[in-house]
Amino acid sequence: MKKYSRNRQEYLKKPVDISDDDILEAMREIEGYLDITPADFKEVYQIAYKHAVERLMHFIKARDIMTKEVVFVNKETSLQKTAEIMASHGISGVPVTGDNGEVTGVISEKDFLFHMGSKEATSFMMIIVQCLKNNRCVAVPLRDQKAENIMTKPAITVDENTPLSEIVNIFAQKNINRVPVLDLEKKLVGIVSRADVLQTSFSEVKG
Amino acid sequence: MDYFKKMKGITKSPPVVSYTEMLWSWIGAFLGIGAVAYINFNFLEKTDFVMVIGSFGASAVLIYGAIKSPLAQPRNFVGGHLVSAIIGVASYKIFHSQMWLAASIAVATAIVGMHATKTLHPPGGATSLIAVIGSSKIHNLGFMYTVIPVGVGSVIMLVVALLVNNVPKHRKYPEFWL
Repeated sequence: MKKYSRNRQEYLKKPVDISDDDILEAMREIEGYLDITPADFKEVYQIAYKHAVERLMHFIKARDIMTKEVVFVNKETSLQKTAEIMASHGISGVPVTGDNGEVTGVISEKDFLFHMGSKEATSFMMIIVQCLKNNRCVAVPLRDQKAENIMTKPAITVDENTPLSEIVNIFAQKNINRVPVLDLEKKLVGIVSRADVLQTSFSEVKG
Repeated sequence: MDYFKKMKGITKSPPVVSYTEMLWSWIGAFLGIGAVAYINFNFLEKTDFVMVIGSFGASAVLIYGAIKSPLAQPRNFVGGHLVSAIIGVASYKIFHSQMWLAASIAVATAIVGMHATKTLHPPGGATSLIAVIGSSKIHNLGFMYTVIPVGVGSVIMLVVALLVNNVPKHRKYPEFWL
């Protein structure tokens, strides 16, 4: 999981690997004598690309890429209901709100896995193993619990003006996949997932 | 990088240009050098002045043959020649008793002068050298050398470059002025 997420980030920061032949072909298409060697051009290109990504990472804010219709649950919501909501929306995590609408935590597939059966059950396959060994479903103990019992807290959140670069760093450092976005009054206004980051970065950088 | 490994080179030569590019380079150089040479040989022959110097031949390569190059832009072309001419004449005046020293100081200082003023133009090195090793006619010009032939001559060649280089659809000059 960790390795995968790091690769994704490196991928963002790395320009398309163009070859000397690509550059020579482009130089042929541009009429006239270009006073630069392919190697120098490549160096300029790679550094310029890095600057462009950094500029975009700084320029793009949470509000520009967040999903505005946030699916969330209350801390009192039962885990059965929570699981149903996540399943029907096809999402792997939701923010959990308190009585006054404040975000108190985040609940994800990982939290479910972690609270099922023994402490080793941190992957889906481990759950399968335990199910088959014990001949019973390990999710049953969760049935009577509420969202607040298994959610990760406190919630790691960002505000609407948090730049993309910071969000990417949060994902990597905290090893999380989504972060709720709050406005100045700490109200939940959106959520940014890794998918949002990936889509935005590529379309913006390429466009 | 290992010292000797660096001498192997790391990349390929830029591609050859089209025949039309060659033709327009030829036309530009013919007209540009033609203009200054015509004035030199038909009007200035019997005067103390000259209009064409060797370094203009080198400039023609850039401003008619490699017109996209930063080295070929008006700032570099005219500025580089002027800066180098001043340094060349000064070097001759100060060090003419030691000609080898006057020549080497002229060229070395011209390069630094052009870099410092963002006017690097390789033929400028020749312009500063000519101020030292040139004929007695050149020496007698003193600092007038920076006006005629260097200043006026390079402006004439620049005008030709502007007129010729912008005729073909795919060519444009300059990339920038200052």
